[in-house]
Amino acid sequence: MIIRWRQVFNGLYQRWIERRLPPIKKIRLDNRKLFIFPTRAGFSFIGLLILLWLIATNFENNVVFALTFLLASLFIITVFHTFLNVSGLQIEGGRVTPGFAGQTAEFEYLLSQTGRRQRFSIEFSHPGLEATVVSLSGSEIKSIYLSIPVNRRGWFQARRITVRSVYPLGLLKVWTYLQFNTEALVYPRPIEAELPRQGATGQGDKPPPDNYMPHNSGSEDFVGLEKYRLGESLRHIAWKQFAREQGLQTKHYADAIDDELWLDWELLPGMDGEARLSRLCAWTQSFSEAQLPYGLRLPGVELAPGTGRVHRDTVLRELALFEQPQIVGGRA
Amino acid sequence: MRPLWQIPRDCLFWLLVSVFVSIGLHLEHLPPWVALSGIVAALWQIQLYRERWHQPGRLLKWSLAGACGAGLLLHYGRMTGLEPMVALLFTGYILKLLEIHHRRDALVLLYLSYLIIILQSLFSSTIVASVLVLVALLPVTAALVAMHGATDNSRPTTALRTGLAMILQAIPLMLVMFIVMPRIGSLWAVPQPNSATTGVSDSMSPGDMTQLGRNGAIAFRVEFDGPIPEQNKLYWRGLVFSSFDGRRWQQQAPQSYRDGRFLQWSNQALEAWDKDIIRRGQPLSYRVTLEATNSHWLFALSTPLSPSSSVALSRDFRLVNNEPVVSKLLYPVRSWLDNQLQAESLPGWRHQIELALPAGYNPKTRAIAKQWRAETPDTAAFINRLLGLYNQEFIYTLRPPALGRHTVDEFLWGTKKGFCEFYASSFVFFMRAAGIPARVVVGYQGGERHPSENYLIVRQYDAHAWAEVWIEGRGWLRVDPTAAVAPERIELSFADLFAEQDEFLSESPFSLEHLRHINWLNNLRLKLDSLDYAWAKWVLGYDNIQNDLLLDLLGAIKPQRIALLLLFAGGIALLPVFIMLYLSREKNTRDELDRLFLQYCARLDNIGLPREPGEGPRDFAQRIGQQAPSLTAQVDALTQLYESARYSEVQGDDLKRFKAALKAFKPSRKAFLHGA
Repeated sequence: MIIRWRQVFNGLYQRWIERRLPPIKKIRLDNRKLFIFPTRAGFSFIGLLILLWLIATNFENNVVFALTFLLASLFIITVFHTFLNVSGLQIEGGRVTPGFAGQTAEFEYLLSQTGRRQRFSIEFSHPGLEATVVSLSGSEIKSIYLSIPVNRRGWFQARRITVRSVYPLGLLKVWTYLQFNTEALVYPRPIEAELPRQGATGQGDKPPPDNYMPHNSGSEDFVGLEKYRLGESLRHIAWKQFAREQGLQTKHYADAIDDELWLDWELLPGMDGEARLSRLCAWTQSFSEAQLPYGLRLPGVELAPGTGRVHRDTVLRELALFEQPQIVGGRA
Repeated sequence: MRPLWQIPRDCLFWLLVSVFVSIGLHLEHLPPWVALSGIVAALWQIQLYRERWHQPGRLLKWSLAGACGAGLLLHYGRMTGLEPMVALLFTGYILKLLEIHHRRDALVLLYLSYLIIILQSLFSSTIVASVLVLVALLPVTAALVAMHGATDNSRPTTALRTGLAMILQAIPLMLVMFIVMPRIGSLWAVPQPNSATTGVSDSMSPGDMTQLGRNGAIAFRVEFDGPIPEQNKLYWRGLVFSSFDGRRWQQQAPQSYRDGRFLQWSNQALEAWDKDIIRRGQPLSYRVTLEATNSHWLFALSTPLSPSSSVALSRDFRLVNNEPVVSKLLYPVRSWLDNQLQAESLPGWRHQIELALPAGYNPKTRAIAKQWRAETPDTAAFINRLLGLYNQEFIYTLRPPALGRHTVDEFLWGTKKGFCEFYASSFVFFMRAAGIPARVVVGYQGGERHPSENYLIVRQYDAHAWAEVWIEGRGWLRVDPTAAVAPERIELSFADLFAEQDEFLSESPFSLEHLRHINWLNNLRLKLDSLDYAWAKWVLGYDNIQNDLLLDLLGAIKPQRIALLLLFAGGIALLPVFIMLYLSREKNTRDELDRLFLQYCARLDNIGLPREPGEGPRDFAQRIGQQAPSLTAQVDALTQLYESARYSEVQGDDLKRFKAALKAFKPSRKAFLHGA
């Protein structure tokens, strides 16, 4: 019963917050958007004040009264200090770095202010993340980055981030929840898989090109890694992988490939859509790393083979948004 | 054990300062080993922070706690009372210093610091001590700021400045709360601090008062509504001694008075004995601010009444407080100097009390008293004869010779040198031996008039003992045998009389009174005293004034009106703080640099070298170098400083140096022309 009430209350609270603080691109925090309340330490401080008041009353000591009232006034002054430490702060949703499902997407937020107040220890946090603490002074603009875990491909909007500060005395906390309308593109969760020998080629009926097989004599295009064999050139040893304790491997290069590589939905028969996308995603990564030109074929989508970062991003984007309903509000 | 939470460096700094300050404030009434272990614990914490030492183990901590508890028990013998409780709190505080694992631990320590520092005011609430306590709150506040606003490597002064600003901003509201918040009076009995006080005690034996004669501490201050009466009328009655055991004078037990209760409270029906008091004329109205005495008795001129509900009139016409005076006490008094006390007759049982003498003491005095009484039957003449004897043969001195078993005999017929108590004691003994009811009265006589403020300062060395004799038809009369020996003691103030003697103030070696003869120092001393008195009156004794003040302000004291006043006055007190905070702009170094650079350009403009629009500082400097070569060195140096102040990653003192260099930079048109 209690749990149900709590759920009802939380639901109402969430709805109220949503109405009060709708998603935005840029926000200037002011008294309509900030909440302030004593912290646990603040309540203990009130306890201390009561104790001191009892001592002053019972000992009928006016100096103790005066000092008790001084601490009480300090508490009240702290309300202003705490509030003004955050009020007037401008926060803008900045760039967003896409991420793969199961990893994180990085959200940037830009902090600035019109005044020149010195602001200390403002915490930014997202559910499930450790808070990032920022101080801001003068007219500087600061960026904070929150790496937020993402799970499903498609567009992802970060949940409400909490801006919170207890500066200067920790007696009161001032906080707000901000929902920014910046969105991260989430690529499918990459799953490594064996590349079907003939599958990567464009036309299924066409035999695979002879020169597709990687060989270690050439030096044009990187194809992949193979276990080190005695006698191989030391120049081709993949030291990075060695450092990651993946054993001694050599880089293998392919000479220019005339034929095009196609990452094709149809290459992965018998799998469900997400599983296919995951594998296509992993291949995209490895081809892109190998700087091999590759194209993408999905039902209703065809991207001509290409190389480079932009091409890769376009391919990954198609994978991310394939048969994905556009979420309300669109993308940033 | 590794710390789970690393305390910020500046927070630790101010925390340790707070600990040292707390120890310093309480040094006077803490066992020395507690203070010492506090210092050791603080050093240990420093070593912990530097990762030189380890956290004390659990066994060590528990045994330390046990040792502290046992030590306190050994030191005090009990755990009740204020001092042991504060010492116990202190040991807990010190041990806590050894285990700062969480933010919460540091917080507990800081809250305890606030508590412990403020508790000092229970022991001493003079103006100096209170200001010290106020200042001591600063490092604690700075530590709190440092704890919550810590940016890496921020300097301790940053936190201190914020803490100081906040305390200063809190003061106006504190004043409002102090003035308005009603005091409801003690809720339950609390142990009072055992402060060592000096002053007249509840008994008198030869030599007791010579101690006081050397002490310059203030006993009480009196503010009169009208002019201050003459010196020889200022007999501040405190205690009445009717019982003598051969050496020691003491108060008669209250039970031995058989007509009604001993104390008459102002809110009770009049006791039967009140009719014994005849009050004539207009009363003298004044307020006494008594220093702590740890005793019940109060001091007033005869014959007094106090409107205060906590003050009673006693059967022997003195004022008595309902509780021991453990801190400064202000009480209003009205005294009828023109009075008659018990004029009608003294009942037989009272005759017995006021004539009682111990057997086996002072046989010579008894014999001579009887003989004199036979020769001089008139009481007034009899008294005058004894006073005449004092006047002719006796010497008033602060250094009386010691007396043996028969104190009065030896004094009257032997040494003939003494202090007021010797005269009072021998006089009363002599009267009683002759069959005249008499008693010793102890209190203070005279006082120093503050030259600019209308109040009187009465000090311990004004302590005095005199006699009262009962004469049929006239009642109790004051007789001061000291006045017969040394009339100047009564006419002048004590200090005026004895200032030249070595014994004067030998108990108060640091008193400014030693320098009375240096005029400006004497003025300073009196200024300080009036400050101290104002503190006592307006702060320490504020409860006495508050009621009248609130009545004046509000018309009637009702909770709603008090709340309204608090809101209204509090709002006014906070408004400037809020405006100041809201408008405050942290000084921006970049902006200041711009301003200074514009100044630099303006100076060059003045001599005909304006900066072209869009010309960078370096190009500008180059052009000046060509047009006015004599300025090259200065301009180049300034440009370099400007650039490093503007673009340097490191926050250095380039801005300051630029400012200084600019100050020295005064290009004249001549230099420019010559150069050209």
